[in-house]
Parts: sequence; C-alpha cells; structure tokens
Amino acid sequence: MGNLKVTMTDVNGTVHAIGNLNEGESLMEIAKANGVEGIFGDCGGGCACATCHVYVDQAWWPKVGEPDDIEGAMLDMVADVQRPNSRLGCQIKLRPELDGISVTVAPTSN
Amino acid sequence: METQAADIPGNAKPALTLDEKQLLAEATLKDYAIQAQPHDYYRAMRKGDPVHFDEKLGSWLVSRHEDILAVQADPITFSVNMGYHTQQARGMREEFQEILERDGGGYFPDAIMSDPPYHTRIRKLMENAFTAHRVKELEPRIRDAVVELLEQVADKGSADAVKDIAVPLTIRVIVEQLGLDHGMEAKITRWSAAVVAQISSMQNRETMVENAAQICELQNYLISKMRQRESQPSEDMISDIVHAQIKMPDGSVETLNFEEAVSLVRALLIAGNDTTATAIGNLFLLLATRPDVVRLLQESVDDDRRLTRFVEELLRVEPPVRALSRMTSCETVLGGTTIPAHAHMLLVYGSGNDQEEVFPDPRKFDMDRPNLGRHVSFGGGVHRCVGLALARMEVKVMAREIARRMDNIKLAIAVEDIRYLPTVATRTIEHLPITFTRRVG
Ligand code: HEM
Ligand code: FES
Repeated sequence: MGNLKVTMTDVNGTVHAIGNLNEGESLMEIAKANGVEGIFGDCGGGCACATCHVYVDQAWWPKVGEPDDIEGAMLDMVADVQRPNSRLGCQIKLRPELDGISVTVAPTSN
Repeated sequence: METQAADIPGNAKPALTLDEKQLLAEATLKDYAIQAQPHDYYRAMRKGDPVHFDEKLGSWLVSRHEDILAVQADPITFSVNMGYHTQQARGMREEFQEILERDGGGYFPDAIMSDPPYHTRIRKLMENAFTAHRVKELEPRIRDAVVELLEQVADKGSADAVKDIAVPLTIRVIVEQLGLDHGMEAKITRWSAAVVAQISSMQNRETMVENAAQICELQNYLISKMRQRESQPSEDMISDIVHAQIKMPDGSVETLNFEEAVSLVRALLIAGNDTTATAIGNLFLLLATRPDVVRLLQESVDDDRRLTRFVEELLRVEPPVRALSRMTSCETVLGGTTIPAHAHMLLVYGSGNDQEEVFPDPRKFDMDRPNLGRHVSFGGGVHRCVGLALARMEVKVMAREIARRMDNIKLAIAVEDIRYLPTVATRTIEHLPITFTRRVG
C-alpha cells in the first residue's frame, strides 16, 4: 500500500478524498477503483477515448503540465467541454510531486 | 409492433409523416434497399419507435443515441456473449467445431466476444498493444506501406477504389502490424470472408463446410506464426499478444492461454480489415461526389490536428459498422420499451450518429463539430473498439497520402449504381469504379 493521496470531485459534485495510493497509478485507474462518477476509461488508459477527462485545479497545473500532441488531439474531440486546464486522467500518473493533487471530473460532451 | 414509449406521459412524440408511418409498419433492415439507403428508416424509428422490433429480422433495433449509450453502460443485461455466439454457424455449430478440431488446430471460441468479468481480463491483456502512443510508433512503417501501394496506382487514371485501393491498402497495413507475410492479399480476403460468414444468417451447410476449410487454413497459418514469435519475439502485434502480461493487484501475473491468443490474433486480422477498408471506400465516394469534402481534405492535409478531425467526421457521417448484436440476459426496459429476456438486439450505430439533437444537420460534413467524440462509430463502454487509435491513424495516413497523390477523382458509374454488401452489420460499398489524375505540386 502506498502513501500518496488525491482529491477528486465527481460529476455530481461529490468530493472523494482517496489515500494509500501507489506511485505510477493513473488518475483514471484510481477514479474507477474508487467509484468516482463520470470517469469511464473505455479505452483502458490508451489515450484514445477521452472518457477520463478531468480539470486540474489551477494550483496543480504547473506540476502536471501541458498534454502532449496525441492527448491534445483527443481532448479536441470533446472541445465543447474542454478548458485550458483539461487533461485526460489516464495520462496523469501519480508521483511524489503530485501527492495531494486535486481534480474535478469534466462533464461528458453534449 | 407498437411500443409503450408513446404512452408514457410527458414523452410526447413528434408527429410522423405518412412516409415515416409506412416505413415503421413495413420496412425492414433485412431489405437490401433499406440497407443501402437507411437514413429515412433510421429517422422514422428515432421519431416514432426508438426501440423498434424489426419483425422480419427478428431483432430489436436500438436507434437513439441515448439508448445506445444506456445499453453500452450495462454489458451484463445486454450480453455480447449471448448475442454473438447464438449467431455463430446457426444450427451447425457441432459439425463446425468438429471440422476445426480435426483440421484447424482446434476450436477457439472468440475470447473478446464475452461479458465482464472474463472480458475485462481479456481486454486488459490486449490494450497495451493499442494505445495511441504505441500506435504512433507504427506510423512510419504504415506510411511506407501505403505510399508504396498508392505509387503503383496513381498514374493509372482509373481503378476500382474498393478492390484495387481500399482493400489491398488495408490488408497491406494489417500484414505489417501483425507481422504476417506479404503477398497474401488474396488469401486474407478469402479467410476474412469465411470468418465473417460464420455470423451471417446466409450460410447453408455446403457453404459452412467450405468456410470451415478456409478457417482451418487461416488458423494453421496463424498458429505457425505464433509459435515462431513465442521463441523469437519481434516488433509486431502477434508478439504483443503472445507475450502479453498484466500484473494483478495481488502481485500475480496474468497471461493469455493459447486458445485465447489464437482467437484474438484471428479477431484482430478480421476486425481491423473490412471496417478500415470500408472507411476508405467511403472516403473515395465523398471525394468523388462532394467538392466541399475535397476542399476540406486539401486544407487539412498538412495539419495533423485538422486531419484528425476530418477523419473523425468521416467516420461519424459514414460509419463503417452499422449495427452490432446484443442479447438481453433478462427482461428489461429501454427507452420506455419493454424487451423480453433472450431477445436479439442490434445497436444501430449508423442511426445514433445521424441523430440531429446530438449532431445538428447530421448529413452535413462538418469537421468543426465541438462534440465530434460523441459519435458511436467505435461503439462505447467496455466493448468500445480496442483498435480505435490504430483505425484512426490508418485512415488518417491513407487520407493524407491519397490527397497528396490523386486529383480530380470522379465516379465512373452513376451514383444510383453503387452496390453495397448485402449485410446488416456493416454498410460497405462493394465496387467503386473511379477515374482520377495524378496530383501535381
Ligand atoms: C474504421 C475502422 C474500425 C471501425 C469503424 C471499428 C468499429 C468497431 C465497433 C463499432 C466496435 C464495437 C463492437 C460492439 O459494440 O460490440 C468494435 C470493436 C472491436 N474492434 Fe473495431 N473498428 C475499426 C477498426 C478496428 C481495428 C483496426 C481493430 C484491430 C486491429 C479493431 C478491433 C476491434 C476489436 C477486437 C473489437 C472488440 C472489442 C470488445 O468487444 O471489447 N477494430 N470496433
Ligand atoms: S481512458 Fe481512454 S483516453 Fe483515458
């Protein structure tokens, strides 16, 4: 059992504080394992479906960083709900630097 | 058949035109004319009877986007396993199985055509081979294969865009990805047709036996390749599947057994083949008939992000996979309609993509749609196409290289004479004679 933690606000506004996490787990995997509503992860973390879309809290953005081109193209598929702080949860892997990170699950595209 | 949807208070339906009423009463997806030009039938269902029992087909057609999503979200009530395996070699399963066991190295049920939790394990073991980042690494090799073939046709001036371009291109690429031998186009086409025929309702005993012989040949070939890769892994998807492993939370390691691995390699060869070729055939039809689409492609060709959008809208507006099977494991209510247990259903992806509340002006080719990712051309939920990143990349590379080499693409037959494959599952142009010039500059 690891010692990292994250906070996720799901699509219903419920806040999940999740602890005992391991380095290397992705936010998508963590959300699915902990019943965070609105994260589906259809493609299994392949950066190919955009069903794991989150908004990263501003304070954490500099540490998380910009999506690469492949992820950017996928986020563009949900442009109607994309924001400057959008990322795909499967592409954010926990590491000590991100201990305590806070994200909000994005609504599905309309 | 009347459904209860119309009786639900507050669920007032828009009035149907006479034509729409007649379509609902009389039309069927079994009819070739409807298969070829389905959009009016789709609209009539969405408006008047969203979960429609198509009597002649014996299937419930799920036509609305939100109902398709609801089915995808519940893979236990709506079973792929039951929907698929009841279709297989109808009434002749035992004999089919005996032939494969005797001559084809074994009978390997499709591991991916299953339900969770078994399906979850199989998917996890496949997914690493298909991530968008992994697929990106394959792009140069795929581009080389595509360029080589297109260079051979670009000066010819005329061709059948399906048989001479789309099909060989796609086979070329799948051979490259899986790590098979070149020069097998004819065989792979025959093998694919035989596998697809297993789930078609058109098979009689004679054709079943012929198809089984083809599948035996296919399996023997694949098994020899897999044995080779077991001892000598290389940079291809057969190696990925043969050596796939995942670590479980308790530290144990999961792998695929041999039966599962054979069924998956076979599935990849087939699933990626006709679908992608169909998408390229559709691209040619649009390029030959819609100057606006030609212009959009030319404008997007050097901008990867734009070209990605172009491809996605191509897949939305002309989805290769029209409809796929499910079976209810218990009685259930969908979109206000009660469906009995063990009923056969089809998720009509082609109709979901055509729903104007989701995609305004749905027949328009509009690559700027802000919700492009909502289309259901790749399905959704746990069965969402596992090859979707690869499919997108293939279609993108082909679209780009076609646009760079071919110009003035025109139909060599009348639009009305275009024939589609007589099937419910896909909407596939059979032949597309075109003329063209080589692009200069
Ligand atoms: C444009 C090309 C393609 C289209 C339109 C397409 C479409 C689809 C659709 C709609 C499904 C969902 C099935 C369902 O609802 O039951 C699916 C599943 C699948 N596709 Fe694709 N596909 C394409 C290319 C590929 C490629 C290139 C591969 C692999 C090489 C592939 C492999 C699969 C597999 C294995 C499944 C089953 C997934 C599961 O049930 O978990 N497809 N595809
Ligand atoms: S799980 Fe599919 S993009 Fe993240």
